[in-house]
Amino acid sequence: MEAILKVEKLSKCYGKLLGKTQALNELSFQVMPGEFLGIMGSSGSGKSTLLNCIATVIAPSSGKIMMAGKEVTALKGKELSNYRGQEIGYLFQNFELLDNLTGRENIMLPLSLHGISSKESAEKLLQLANYLDVADVLEKFPAQMSGGEKQRVAAARALILNPGIILADEPTGALDSYNAKILMEKLTGMNQREKATILMVTHDSGVASYCSRILFIQDGAIFHEVRRDYPAETQPQFYQRIIKVIARLGGGDVNVF
Amino acid sequence: MFSKLIFRNSKRNRKDNGLFFSSMLICIVAFYIILSLKNQDVMIFLEKMESDAISRLLSMIPILYAVTLFLLFFLIYYAGKIQLEKRKHELGIYLILGMRRSKLFVLLLLEDIQGSMMALLVGLPIAIFLSEMISLVTARVVGLGIIGHQFSVSGGAILWTAIGFFLVKLVAFLLLGLMIARQQIGNLLAVAPDGARKQLPKGIYVLAVFMGAILLAKAYYMGISGQSWRDFKQMGMTMIFGLAGTLLLFFGLRVVIGFLIQIKRNRRLYVYNFRQIEEAVIYSSGKLAISSLLVLAGLGSFGAGVAVGSAYLQTVQHISDYTFTADYATINHGLISHHLDSYFSDLFEVKIGLMDGDNQDKEELLQMKAVLQELEKLPKTKEQTILLKHLRRETRPYLISLSGYNELQRLAGQPILKLKEEEVVIYQHPDFTFGKELLNHIFAQKPQIFLNGENHYITGKVESLPLVTDRAITLAFALIVPDNKFETYTKGNYEIFLNGSLKSEWIQQKGLMGAVLEVNQKLTDAGIEYESYLQNMGRQLFYSVATSYLTIYLAIIFLVIANTMIGVQFLVNQQKSKKRLKTLIHLGADYQILCQSAKKQINWYFGLPVLIALISSQFGVRALLTGLLPGYLQQDLMQQLLISGIMIVFLGVMEYIYMILIKHFSNRYIFSLMEPERSE
Repeated sequence: MEAILKVEKLSKCYGKLLGKTQALNELSFQVMPGEFLGIMGSSGSGKSTLLNCIATVIAPSSGKIMMAGKEVTALKGKELSNYRGQEIGYLFQNFELLDNLTGRENIMLPLSLHGISSKESAEKLLQLANYLDVADVLEKFPAQMSGGEKQRVAAARALILNPGIILADEPTGALDSYNAKILMEKLTGMNQREKATILMVTHDSGVASYCSRILFIQDGAIFHEVRRDYPAETQPQFYQRIIKVIARLGGGDVNVF
Repeated sequence: MFSKLIFRNSKRNRKDNGLFFSSMLICIVAFYIILSLKNQDVMIFLEKMESDAISRLLSMIPILYAVTLFLLFFLIYYAGKIQLEKRKHELGIYLILGMRRSKLFVLLLLEDIQGSMMALLVGLPIAIFLSEMISLVTARVVGLGIIGHQFSVSGGAILWTAIGFFLVKLVAFLLLGLMIARQQIGNLLAVAPDGARKQLPKGIYVLAVFMGAILLAKAYYMGISGQSWRDFKQMGMTMIFGLAGTLLLFFGLRVVIGFLIQIKRNRRLYVYNFRQIEEAVIYSSGKLAISSLLVLAGLGSFGAGVAVGSAYLQTVQHISDYTFTADYATINHGLISHHLDSYFSDLFEVKIGLMDGDNQDKEELLQMKAVLQELEKLPKTKEQTILLKHLRRETRPYLISLSGYNELQRLAGQPILKLKEEEVVIYQHPDFTFGKELLNHIFAQKPQIFLNGENHYITGKVESLPLVTDRAITLAFALIVPDNKFETYTKGNYEIFLNGSLKSEWIQQKGLMGAVLEVNQKLTDAGIEYESYLQNMGRQLFYSVATSYLTIYLAIIFLVIANTMIGVQFLVNQQKSKKRLKTLIHLGADYQILCQSAKKQINWYFGLPVLIALISSQFGVRALLTGLLPGYLQQDLMQQLLISGIMIVFLGVMEYIYMILIKHFSNRYIFSLMEPERSE
């Protein structure tokens, strides 16, 4: 099976000369279709830079990002905006819903941006809203929704155009544990039932335990990788393994088994 | 270090608030031009003849200046407040780093002074240059000639422009600076949320739109029907209705925008754009309404200025340049003997005399029973009633000889009148042409009248060419009669006016004003008595120039304030929407899409207040004309259409300039967002 996302020797430097910071250092990995990949690392490890490079919000200094066989860094103009809007779905830590738009309008925003008729996606909207339990808040403004509802509306927005991959940047970061659990269950459901590919950045081990594979990043490079052993390994067992890795992260890769 | 900080901050402020800075420049230019008015060629010229009026006008300018400074104060205060709000965090950082409050205050003050100095340094040279250009152009347009033009810089105008500008900026700054310097550091550092506005039930907004429209309609009606001009109370009511109507309309406008959102067109970012506009309407309906009223004030000033200015220029048709009060032989002899004949062409006599007759009391020399009867049959209107009253009084008219009048017709490029023995034509001076349409309608039937008991008929249309150059002789009602009848009915007791024009090559060489001035001198030296067109022209010119200058000045100031308010409002809201724009970029919006979206919003931001102001101005200017212009000019539909047209073009140009400017600033801001910030 061909990988949906290939990251090859990706580097990103911020600043110049003395102020230079190497955020990503020749990082390489692949994401297979239908995979739920987690990226973990401490603050400043380069997680968000990686996600932003894939989302084309930041241009990498060197290296390649291939999405479904296309070189992402070479995209320009309409192709680039189509990639951002249609091939990836982005889930933010702070939801980033437009507060002056209703839930429905927020979900429909990518359609409006890419000039796609809203009629075409009416059914999809309904399906997503029902699945994510946000049908009741479609006509409400974000200020009238709970945190969990906001993030689920944001998830519906990320999924409305059937993107090839969902990029989630600490999606539970602003949620309480109850709502975080609901969201993760919904995302896992999407991954398992619809074979949705998800790439999620998180530093919450509990949240990471929903993933099928986790990459640990330190100082801009992949430091370790763990894979959940389906179906033998349960989620709590996988969680324990993640905790162990994190506990040993401070000592460098010699400590990781 | 401190001075470097001031310099850099001031430079950044100018760059970040380019719109506000540009508006300040326009105000400085406008101030200088109006304050240096007395240095304008046309004013120097008029001062020789209309010195009283000119000094009255010049004494009005300081008041006008003070009023505009007062208005400008609000703009500076408003824009300054927004600018400081934006910098709150930065100012908080200064304080937390240990800067004393007094030093912070001085920092802001010096930044402000540097900004003002910069505006003056750039604005004043532009102002001096423009003032000179305007002086030359007006001198050329009114035929004054530009040979005698001398470059002049008015020190007083520069001084007062600088003083006024600094003063207003300083007062605004003191208020704002104190407000900021007193705040707690925590308040400065925290980003204050806007806070959601409580929404009232939809019905209230619908009612507001409805009430607003009714009040505006009432104000329009009161204005154009002349009701507002009856007394202060009526005028006050019109103003209150107009003001309240506009405020209510903008308050309820969110329903209309909400409706537009519901249409949900499939245009790119349609819903987002309208939600942004809706937000502006909800949060700042008052500011939008005030901007709209200011645009209306600007249009009103401009429209009324154009109308009144052009009306004074139009009042008297210019046919002859000179009138001498003696017959042809006497004057011609005088001119030849002083070698002045070569300046003149077309010398001709116009004879005017009061009718004389056989009956003793001379009161029934003219009988117009048929005319009066026809007039009575017409539907009763105000015009018809006044006309009847006037005509009943005309029992002993002035007579004008046909040959003299035909000379005027020829010079005015109109066909000469051909009258049979018993035919007469009615004459009214252009200042008194009242009910002309009604009279022409009746005269088309050739009604019978009696002159000294003899049967005559009125023919043709009402004639109204000026008989002499000066306005000393203005006949409200007279009859043009064949020359022999003129001799008979005046019994040889009449006055002769000899009209003459300057030769065209002489006018081309010197300009009309220049030529008339020079010949006047020569005639005075030769001891020949004359009336020249100059006296009239001077008066007309004074009114046109004065109204044009003052009203255009006011219009520009009003429009600058209104447009800056709208523009600043948009740019502030755009900056508040930074997070939304970032999200849109994440969702795939590129630079072009966002610029396009901003462009649409800008069009609506400006379009809403301007459109409502434009509608109101069509009634407002008509109302002003009803109150300010004499009746005979109010009927002129073409003139009104022309004024509307000029107004729309003027407004269009101003709005276009501002919208281009705002779009430029908006695009620059969007571009800055496209560059990602490091989030870790």
